Amino acid sequence: MRRRSTLITLAAALMLTFTMSACSNGGGNAGTNNTPTNEGATPAVTNSGKEGAGEGSAGDSEEDITLRLMWWGSQTRHDLTNEVVKLYESKNPHVNIETEFTSFDGYWEKLAAMVAGNNMPDVLQMNFGEYMTQYASKDVLLDMKPFTENGTIDVSKANEGIMASGIANGQLLGIPLGMNALTVIYDEQMLQDAGVAAPDMNWTWDDWKKAAETVYAKTGNYGTQGLEITNIFEYYARQHGQKMYSEDGKGLGFDDKLLAEYLAMTLEQQEKKTYPSMDVIMQHEAIEDQLIVHGKAPFDFRWSNQVVALTKAANRTLKLAPLPGPDSSKGMYLKPSLFFSISKKSKHQEEAAKFIDYFINDVEANKIMMGERGVPITSTIRETLAADLDETNKMIFDYIDRIGENSSPIDSVYPAGASEISKAMEEIHEQVMYKQLTPEEAAAEFRKRAEEIIARGAE
Amino acid sequence: MSLEASSSAAAAQGKRKKKENDNLTGYLFILPFLVGFFALTVFPVVMSLYLSFTNYDMLGTPSWIGFANYERMLMDDPKFVQSVKVTLFYVFTAVPFRLVFALAVALLLARLVVMKGMYRTLLYLPSVIGGSVAVSVMWRQLFGNEGALNSILAKLGLPTVSWLGDPAYAIWTLILLYGWQFGSSMLIFLAGLKNIPASYYEAAEVDGAGAWRRFVRITIPLLTPIILFNVVMQTIQGFMAFTPSYIIFEDGRPLNSTLVYVLYMFQRAFTFFDMGYASAMAWLLLLVIGLFTALIFKSSSYWVHYESEGER
Repeated sequence: MRRRSTLITLAAALMLTFTMSACSNGGGNAGTNNTPTNEGATPAVTNSGKEGAGEGSAGDSEEDITLRLMWWGSQTRHDLTNEVVKLYESKNPHVNIETEFTSFDGYWEKLAAMVAGNNMPDVLQMNFGEYMTQYASKDVLLDMKPFTENGTIDVSKANEGIMASGIANGQLLGIPLGMNALTVIYDEQMLQDAGVAAPDMNWTWDDWKKAAETVYAKTGNYGTQGLEITNIFEYYARQHGQKMYSEDGKGLGFDDKLLAEYLAMTLEQQEKKTYPSMDVIMQHEAIEDQLIVHGKAPFDFRWSNQVVALTKAANRTLKLAPLPGPDSSKGMYLKPSLFFSISKKSKHQEEAAKFIDYFINDVEANKIMMGERGVPITSTIRETLAADLDETNKMIFDYIDRIGENSSPIDSVYPAGASEISKAMEEIHEQVMYKQLTPEEAAAEFRKRAEEIIARGAE
Repeated sequence: MSLEASSSAAAAQGKRKKKENDNLTGYLFILPFLVGFFALTVFPVVMSLYLSFTNYDMLGTPSWIGFANYERMLMDDPKFVQSVKVTLFYVFTAVPFRLVFALAVALLLARLVVMKGMYRTLLYLPSVIGGSVAVSVMWRQLFGNEGALNSILAKLGLPTVSWLGDPAYAIWTLILLYGWQFGSSMLIFLAGLKNIPASYYEAAEVDGAGAWRRFVRITIPLLTPIILFNVVMQTIQGFMAFTPSYIIFEDGRPLNSTLVYVLYMFQRAFTFFDMGYASAMAWLLLLVIGLFTALIFKSSSYWVHYESEGER
């Protein structure tokens, strides 16, 4: 009898937790949907009922067809892209384009679910690095080489180095939509007030430290914004002739000593108070919140396409320099800001390719977008747009041209699990800045964790 | 006689038939719920049990790996251990904090004579909005380095603290947020308090019992069934905390000091596409919550007092 009542209690307890979990899961999910993803506000135009209607043979291009297009981005990007899509539809009346868009956070969950459900859009935005590697390994993207060879997608005017970034496993899986580069954004006025020379193409980490220390000593402001470790350390490794990952993607491509040295450098700056402590960095993550926006630090390290938003928030002119040397041209690289890829299962591959061609080569379309997805990859479009650019964009275009001449090809080998490795790097960085690990311990710990993750991914 | 019998039999049959029809109509009415329940709850739950024994990245097909996910979780994942520590600490501080607070407010409200409804509504408000993103954002503003709390401290000439940036304090801001959403427990306590007959208190007062004695000897014992209910519900909720740490501390920062279990599970599933592992974590969580709930129920025979003792 006693045993029975215990059993019943246990069963009741389980039932209760089950139902409770079920209810609050619903609530929790609603919460996540409201988070940065913005998904609720997105008027996703998926009309599955419509699909299949009017789908003819892929070869006959004049039959009415529907293409599905998906991307992530800001509201500005949504507006501009929708405008371009409308223009394309009016020029190609037989093509109807259904668009779906979200912010970056929700995008990958959504896409993964679509792939799992065999419901991928025809044309989709893809990201360089771990995401491209992951999708390439799953063999769900179309090799677009036939289309570039027969001229359906015209890439004759595109930067060759940047086109190479879309190749994975020997296949052309992504057409880059724009170019980006790491940059140091600086406030010339602040440097001048402290009597520090502005950085040029040949400045070094020592110049950076000296400038930061002088600004701190003279004004009491921070000498620099904190450095986002994963991107900046990759540059640091490259400038020292090493790489983030080894050539075969089966290990790390740098010495522990190098990482320890880098960590010691940032820690030293934090000790000297020229560099904000971790909690300050954490609380200034939004672009509008950056120290440089509020005139509290003269330097900020980030991607060149973010300069537009940063300048807008700061409401004053900021300038660009490459990352500190020596040998900055070994470390610097042009990065494809985004790709368009085609689903391997798309029924309208040729139409999808035509749309991508239009997107990268049409003057009118690019005049609408004005390089919102990064500096355009074809020289013709860059030249056409140059006349109409505002001051900030002109500066970014010039910067990309300069870096194009002073950089080395991007490293495109990423092991599976690269996103988890990046996260591990952020964590050991935090541990160093909170003084839980010394730079040497941290470097060893990172290697251990990264190798575990790589080994697991290889299983 | 026989005619009567047959007619009554026919009537009974008709009745039965009608009853069957009623059942059918009933089932039809709840069909939308049933479909939803089986397709959206039972199926995913069963599926996640299967996935917990696989390696599944959402893009490929799941591959069976037996208990490997569970093994890795329990033997070989320091971050998992960290998330368990954070969650247990959170549950064991935040839940009692919320309950004590809720009871205290309920006691005050029960004495209130005027404008009861307004106070009750106002005090319940945080629970409605508390789990939301907006409040999490507000919490950031309150406890930020240049936030409201620090500016007050500075005005009073006290040292300021980096509430969100210091691993020693960060979790406490979450606990405070959990405590602040005391509304639903408070309402339940309030209902329980109203059920205690006033005559008990009067009799005790006549016998010379003070306020504290009345509280300890009458209020608490008679409230124990309600306390049990609240403890169970709140413990379950505490284990499932997610939104505030996700929004306020992004990824459980600083130093993973706010990495609650469900947040880590979310990371594994949607940041690292480790869906099999995340499913295993979900099932372990279910078992642990079930265990805690059972323990609380089991312990209840020692401290919960039912007025109709005969059933025990």
